[in-house]
Amino acid sequence: MKKTVDVSLPIGPVHPVFKEPARIKCETMGEKVLSAEVELGYVKKGIERIMRDRPWQEVMFLAERICGICSVIHNMVFIEAVEKACDIALAPRAAYLRVIVNELDRMQSHILANYSYCYTIEHETLAMYLLNIRETVMDQLELLTGARVTCAYIIPGGVRFDIKPADAEKLKLALLKIESDIRRFMGMFENGRMIALRSKEVGILTPEEARIAHAVGPTARASGVRLDERLNHATYKLLNFEPVLRDECDNYARIMVRFQEVLQSIALIRKCLNEMPAGLIRSGGEVGAGSYSWKGEAPRGELTYDLKTDEYGRILDIAIMTPSIMNIEACGHYMLKGIDSAADITSTFISSDPCIACNER
Amino acid sequence: MSIIQKLKNKVRSRSIHVSYVNVGSCNGCDIEILACLSPRYDLEQYGIYVHNNPREADILLITGALCEQWDDKLVSLWEKIPEPKAAITIGNCPVSGCVFNRRGSYVNPPVSKHIPVAASIPGCPPRPSEIVSTILSLAPEVFKDFEEKKR
Repeated sequence: MKKTVDVSLPIGPVHPVFKEPARIKCETMGEKVLSAEVELGYVKKGIERIMRDRPWQEVMFLAERICGICSVIHNMVFIEAVEKACDIALAPRAAYLRVIVNELDRMQSHILANYSYCYTIEHETLAMYLLNIRETVMDQLELLTGARVTCAYIIPGGVRFDIKPADAEKLKLALLKIESDIRRFMGMFENGRMIALRSKEVGILTPEEARIAHAVGPTARASGVRLDERLNHATYKLLNFEPVLRDECDNYARIMVRFQEVLQSIALIRKCLNEMPAGLIRSGGEVGAGSYSWKGEAPRGELTYDLKTDEYGRILDIAIMTPSIMNIEACGHYMLKGIDSAADITSTFISSDPCIACNER
Repeated sequence: MSIIQKLKNKVRSRSIHVSYVNVGSCNGCDIEILACLSPRYDLEQYGIYVHNNPREADILLITGALCEQWDDKLVSLWEKIPEPKAAITIGNCPVSGCVFNRRGSYVNPPVSKHIPVAASIPGCPPRPSEIVSTILSLAPEVFKDFEEKKR
């Protein structure tokens, strides 16, 4: 019998399916992956270092520019940490507006992640459908906040703009379209036999492995781990939020969790629009001395900001933990191991929705 | 103008191959390039193809403020692209470093220190329509009569 030579297969840093530079080094036996390692460090900017000793007004914009895909949640968690450190009250109407914008951001991020996965398994039709519906979601973000990507919508004590009644109607109409389209695309993904061949039973992450690697976000929820920081958030508690869980543990489950969460986000936005109290969108307050550690649920998992401010509102110390690093490690150590084909390496990596810019900062 | 040059002009005007590289961006500009691919903007109707392979590319889109890791890699990437070629930087970062260009950070802008840049699109991030219109207006400047101009 012919002896199979072990091959070290490097993928990246510049690769057609990666949005950002990262490198996967795989040890393979024939096509089978024996072990894998993810090499990072191509986009390190040192944001936490330049955040120190700056006024919160500047750090707010820096925090938003940690990640371009999930910029709203970085803004939200940073501002909520500042509010809690300095006891600034939040206007009740603004709390609902924050949830609306955050859920719109989560929708576009999840649709982008599913687009990337479909593109990676070469199902370009579904990928383009998803990318087109994402533009509709981006329009709604622009309608509410005035910008597509870096909105700077959330400020201490409230939000920048109120939602006009006419805009709320436009948003409701757009949600109807997005919901019907996403249901159709979800059906295409669910029932596609070729998609199932590439996705089911590929990239298994068992619940035990997910707990050991501390996988977070949709990656953990697809393995049946009930982990969602929205359960601890005051406004989401009012909305009776329950996380989406699946137990297939494979690539298919991770993509389906994202599809279901998009539908869940639509329901949350509708509930917010109906239950939103009237009133002011900002309350007064002053950023002073204090320290706090606060977590929020980013599209990819839990996001932690630990900060300390002085009496002039400057950030003395800040530490950020982003969700992707845990998911990337879970992917490198458990999902990629034992994959039968080299073609599934990139799709499995993308299914964990890695955000390199987030976790290198 | 020779016949072969006319033929090349004709072919090149509807076949612009694009590769993009992230040299330390926050992803904001990258997803706006991705948004150009969507059927709403539909890059391919103008004959622009994004396939992210430098050896096939005509235009290199650069996002990000140039981190230390890319000091040498960007030049080698640029050398892999066959002539005629042009580089377009996207966003404020490759021009000035945007918010990241502070004392203590690991960025080293501008990108034009390392490779020749033909056009820059400012904005944090620029809109997809601006990216499409820049590629379309720059491409004829660079590719038309390329061989005759070189002579």
